[in-house]
This record gives sequence, C-alpha cells and structure tokens, in this order.
Amino acid sequence: MEVTISTAELLTTDGIPLKQSLRKAERRNKLRAFLLVFPLLLFIIVTFVMPIGDMLLRSVDDSQINSVFPNTFNEYKNWDKGADELPPEEVYKSLFFELANGDKRQIGKALTRMNYAKSGWKSLIKKTTREIKKIVKKGEEPVSYKDTFIKINKFWGDPTYWYSFNQMVNDRSSIYYWNALDRTFDEDGDVVLQDEKRRMYIKTWLRTFKVSVYVTIFCLILGFPVAHLLANLPLRYSNLLMIFVLLPFWTSLLVRTTAWIVMLQQNGVINGILVWLGVISDDGRIQMVYNEAGTLIAMTQILLPFMILPLYSVMRVIPKSHMRAAQNLGAKPAMAFWRVYLPQTIPGISAGGLLVFVLAIGYFITPELVGGKDGKLIGSWIAYHLKTTLNWGLCAALGGILLGIMLIFYWLYNKIVGIDNIKLG
Amino acid sequence: MSKFLKAFLFASLVFAPFTASAVTVASWGGAYTESQQKAYADTYSDPSSIVFENYNGGLGEVRAQVESGSVTWDLVDVLPSDAITGCDEGLFEDISSEIAELSTPGPDGESMLEDMENNGLEYHSGWDCCVPQIFWTYVVFYDPDAFPGEKPDSMADFFDTEKFPGKRGIHTWATGVIEKAMVADGVSPNAVPTVLANQTGAIDRAFEVMDRIKDDVVFWSAGSQPLELVKSGEVIMAIAYNGRVGAANLAEGENFEYIWEGQVLDQEYLCLTAGAPNRDAAIDFMMHASTPEAQAEQAKYITYGPMRASGIPIIQNNEPWGPGGVDIMPHMPNTPERLKVSIVSDPQWWSDYGAEINERYAAWMGN
Repeated sequence: MEVTISTAELLTTDGIPLKQSLRKAERRNKLRAFLLVFPLLLFIIVTFVMPIGDMLLRSVDDSQINSVFPNTFNEYKNWDKGADELPPEEVYKSLFFELANGDKRQIGKALTRMNYAKSGWKSLIKKTTREIKKIVKKGEEPVSYKDTFIKINKFWGDPTYWYSFNQMVNDRSSIYYWNALDRTFDEDGDVVLQDEKRRMYIKTWLRTFKVSVYVTIFCLILGFPVAHLLANLPLRYSNLLMIFVLLPFWTSLLVRTTAWIVMLQQNGVINGILVWLGVISDDGRIQMVYNEAGTLIAMTQILLPFMILPLYSVMRVIPKSHMRAAQNLGAKPAMAFWRVYLPQTIPGISAGGLLVFVLAIGYFITPELVGGKDGKLIGSWIAYHLKTTLNWGLCAALGGILLGIMLIFYWLYNKIVGIDNIKLG
Repeated sequence: MSKFLKAFLFASLVFAPFTASAVTVASWGGAYTESQQKAYADTYSDPSSIVFENYNGGLGEVRAQVESGSVTWDLVDVLPSDAITGCDEGLFEDISSEIAELSTPGPDGESMLEDMENNGLEYHSGWDCCVPQIFWTYVVFYDPDAFPGEKPDSMADFFDTEKFPGKRGIHTWATGVIEKAMVADGVSPNAVPTVLANQTGAIDRAFEVMDRIKDDVVFWSAGSQPLELVKSGEVIMAIAYNGRVGAANLAEGENFEYIWEGQVLDQEYLCLTAGAPNRDAAIDFMMHASTPEAQAEQAKYITYGPMRASGIPIIQNNEPWGPGGVDIMPHMPNTPERLKVSIVSDPQWWSDYGAEINERYAAWMGN
C-alpha cells in the first residue's frame, strides 16, 4: 500500500496556516510576559545599570576641563620639552585669554580638577586670574605673556606645574585608574609610580582583599558548626538558638561595632580578664582594636549571620539518613562527613561565602571606626574623595576596580564551582 | 551632569517628602544642630519656617543636587575649605552684595567682615557666598587625675613620650595634627600657616615630629571616641573637638583640662545653595544667624566660639552665660589671650594640599 503524505500546509478553521497562528499566539504570550516584567526591568535599569554606567563613564571623563582650556591645551601639545624648559609664548597667551574671558564657575570647577593633578593649582590660578583681570581692565596688552605670568607668580616659571597638564589634556583619560593604583604621568605622559611618601592605594587594595578573604574564611570556620548544630537539633532548641544568631543580626551596626571597642580595647573586657587570669601582665595588654586585628574581629562577627543563614537553610534539607547510610556501608564518621555530607553543603558554602566576601570588600563603617592606624579599607577612600576632595573621577575609578574584582571573582567561581550551584535554601 | 544621574535623582526625589516653602538647612546633626535650632531658629521671627536636616559634611550631596537641578537644601553648614570650593565652583551662590547690604554691623560700626577679621580671620572666597557661624577647635585635653605630678601644658609635652609616657589619641586625618606638630617643633603658633605655605620641607618637618609618638598613638575617627579613650584610660591625652570636651565638663561632671596652646581653630559657615528654592527667606535667615547676638547665644548650648569678634564681649559681660548658671568663658576657644597661642587653620592652603597630605598621612599611619 502506498502512503501519501500531504505536503499541503495545515490550516486552522479560519484558514490561517497553523504555524503562523501558533507564532502569533506565542508572540502575544511573550509580549504579555515582557510587559509583566517590564516595570522590574525599568527599575533595574534606572537604579542599577544607569548609575553604574554613569560611574564608569566618569572614571575616564575629563571633558569639563578641556572645554574650559581648549586653546591652551592645543598649544601645550606643541611644546617640545626637550628643547625648551618652559612652554612657548602661545601657551601663556591662550591661558591668559581663557582665564580673562572664561566663565567663573566653569573655571572654578576646572580648578578643582587641576588640583588633583598637582597640589597648589587652585590658589595659583585664582591669584593669577585676579591679576589678569586687573591688567585687562586697565586695557594694557602685555609685551610678553610669559613674563607677565612669571611676574604675577614665580610658580609659572616652574615646569613641574606645566608637566601636570599631561594628565588633563585629553577628553578621555586613564589617569584616574592609574591614580587609584599609586601611579601618575610624568613629564612625557608616561606612567610612573607616585611619590613614595603618598603611595597607599596599592597597600589599601591588598589589605581590603586580605581582610575580605580572611573574614570569609573565619565566617566559614565559625559558621559551619553553628549552622550544623541549628539544622540538626530538635526544632524547639534550634529555634531558641536561632534567636542568638538573629538578635545580633537585627542589632544596629554601630552598636555592635562600639561594643567590640569596649570588649577589645586595652582597658577593655578581654584584656581585663586576661590580666586577671594572669595570662598577660598589666603592662603587656594586647592592642586588639584600632588596627587591622580589630577590623578583622568586628567584621567577622558582624558578617557571621550572612554565612550561617544560607548554610543552615541548605543543611536543614539534607536527609539525616544519608550519613547513617554511609556509615552503614562502612564509612568512618570522618569519611562519611567528607564524602557524603560536605558535598551536599557546597551550595550553602558558596552562597554564604560569596555573600560575605561581597559585603566585606565594600565595607565602610566598621573599618572606619575600629580600623585606626592600619585597618581601613578602600571604602574609606571612596567616601573621602566623594565628600571631601570631590574627586569623583578617582571615586569612579576606585569603584570601577572594585566592580572589576567582583566580576573576576564571579567568573572564577562560575568556572570552578558553577553558578547554578548557589542556593539560599 | 549626565542624563543618567539626573534620571536617578529624579526617581529618588519622587519619594522624598515634600516640604512646602520651609527653609531647609543641612547641618551636622547631634548637639551641634540642636544648638543651632535653639540659638538661630528659635530666636528667629518665624521659627517654624526653618527645618534642619542632617548630613555628613562635604560637598558631595550639594554638588549632586546643583548639577541635577533639583535643589532641596537652601542652606548648608560647611567647613571653610568646602565654602571656598563650593563658592568657586558655583555650587553656592555669590551673595557678597547682599551680605554687604543686609548683614548686621558690629557695635562700633564695623562691617560683618571686618568684625570677623578682628577675630584673626582672613578673607577667602567662601566669604562671598556664606555667613559665619562658629569657631571650633582641635584641642588637646586630659584628665588631671591621671597626672599626679607635673601636668602637661604645651604641644612639646604632647609630642614627648619620655616626659609623659603613655598613649595619645589622634584623629585619622591630617588637619590639625600637622599644625600641632609644627608648634611642638618650636614654631610660634600664629606663624604656623605662613611657615607651612612658604617653607619647603615644612611638611617633612611635621612628619618627623609626629614620628616621635607614632608607636604610642591610638587613632580615632568619630568625635565621641577621644572622650571614651581618655575616660577609660586607654590614652592619657587626646586631640578632640573642643565642643565635646566642653559638653563632658559642663553636662557630665567631668573635669578635663585643655591645653590651649597649639589649638587649631577651624570654622563653620552657612552657605546659600545655588538655585535654592527659598532663596530670599534663606538669605533673611542667614543674616539673622550671623548677628553677634545670635552667635553669642549659640555658646549657651555648645562651647564653640562666635566667629564674629563682637560676640565674645556679649558672653563675657553676661556671665554666667551657660544654662544653670555656669561660666562659659573658660571653655571658649577664641578669647583674645587664647588666640595668641592658637593656629587659625588656613582653609585655602588645606584645599590646595589637603588631598596630597591626607594620602601621605594615611601612608604614615599604616607603616
């Protein structure tokens, strides 16, 4: 018998090809689904993507100052530093007119920027602008603009001020990233190390990194047994114990930080007990706060719940029978734990570890208060530049690097453990 | 200003409470803002039209407000270096003509600015946009009970751990510390700003002096910490904001001694935000808050000194000026005798070199 297969298209009752009709219905569903998530998407774009994008743009943006001194910067690029000690007359002349005719506020903003490149620019330009305006008012035209500048202030004859222009003459610049890594541009625009006395960013980065890793490890070591206990006790005990985890979690951060100061300081509770017990002498009281140790201890305690809670919720659903079965089959308790129990807690360890690490690397208030001489993290410097120096370019670069580190970690984590393995419960 | 941030700020403003036509003053909060409320707002013709809001200092938020064109703070209480930068950048409005015209002159007919100059201050561009508030100071203090024998009384003593063994409390940023170190090195207090600005190597000199005590320093970062450090015996003396020490002495029954020599006076200004929604009412309040009477009034509630010289005699002649019949003058930083041994911090110099010096200071702390 011969089977004939109809090659004609299947049609719905109203004569539209089935495929098309299906696609149409599907499209409608997709649109509905999209409209449902649209507000959330918009929210994420407005509150998350845009600010981060804006931050990253700011970290390379130097257009404001370039719009204030366009001619000066153009002429500056013609300066042959090998041949002449100071920039050519044309540079001085352009600067003269750009200061004389420029908008006061725009110049004010540019000054703030210039001062990051070299300390002292602010006063120098302000004093000079005042004198230049007097000259313009009198209607005099200087014979030599260079001499006029140097007469106003001797710093105009100091090439190091001029060299700092290298950091600003381009609309887009990597200088903020270099600054965030203790580097700057030299007279030829090459990247060199910052003055030795000022180098502290690399050190702070390494410290931030070190503290975050240590805090994560300490939290895991301390949190794992606690979570295990909580997950395996009968409910009425574990609920009570849970309160001890949650109560500090709900307590104000500042209160907990201050409490640690009371505990750890040299005349504090812990030193007092140690002296009373005779473990240390009265003169040998240990400095445990206002340094890196204080930051480590306080941050570990404060971030501990972020490790315990995900671990607990993962451990709670691991059937107790697994361990019994493993032991039944001949595994010693340690082996059963290592081969059977631990692998099942990996999603909780991952979630807790990432959570603690991410929070620790951007921590600000606690290190600020207990960090003292060498326990402050990079967050303190972001706050300092955001508020005090207004160097938002540097802030953005510091934030950009922080973001980069997080992404690298995320990528590494995904490679090694797999991101699907994270579980909060 | 980028569109991104604008949109972001707009979104956050939608949720901000709507305050109709009250003059919003951003200030530091705590006992300080309370004293401003009592001394300036409560004595104002319409107290309910003034609303204080807390902020953490610096120009970050002001800049964000002005650049996005959605200004909610009419007035901001700032440090002098921020007054200068804010005025230079146009974050604060230049109201020099209004100040000249409307401010209350001193008792001898001197203008407000002359009155401030009589207090050891020099003109800076912040004066174009802002009116004076108070002098506060980085002062060294100690508990006399901790020194049964000789008591420290100079900056040389503070930086000498052989003569006075024990720890010192110092803040985690450089302002005030550098100047004190210069005094300990023999520079006359009044000359310190000039030496710092003009002598090459002056900063190195300050850091060398600071090296002498570095191993005996506990570094603090919040204003309440030095008080706790001295009370608990953690340190034997500390640098603190004098208002905190005054409050401990007056309200908490402490008996701390000050070392006025080498105190570093810093200032507070009230500045008009560019594009302030209640500009005229705000200017009117500024003029009220900068009268010698209002400034003297503030000393009743916090031991910071009036920035107008003519405020001091008002307190002096009416002692006991403090609440509950206590004398305030022993706690005022800017009496004529104390000004002779003080440093008036140079805000222009700090806004030029502050970032660089603070980075160096952090490197010094951590080494």
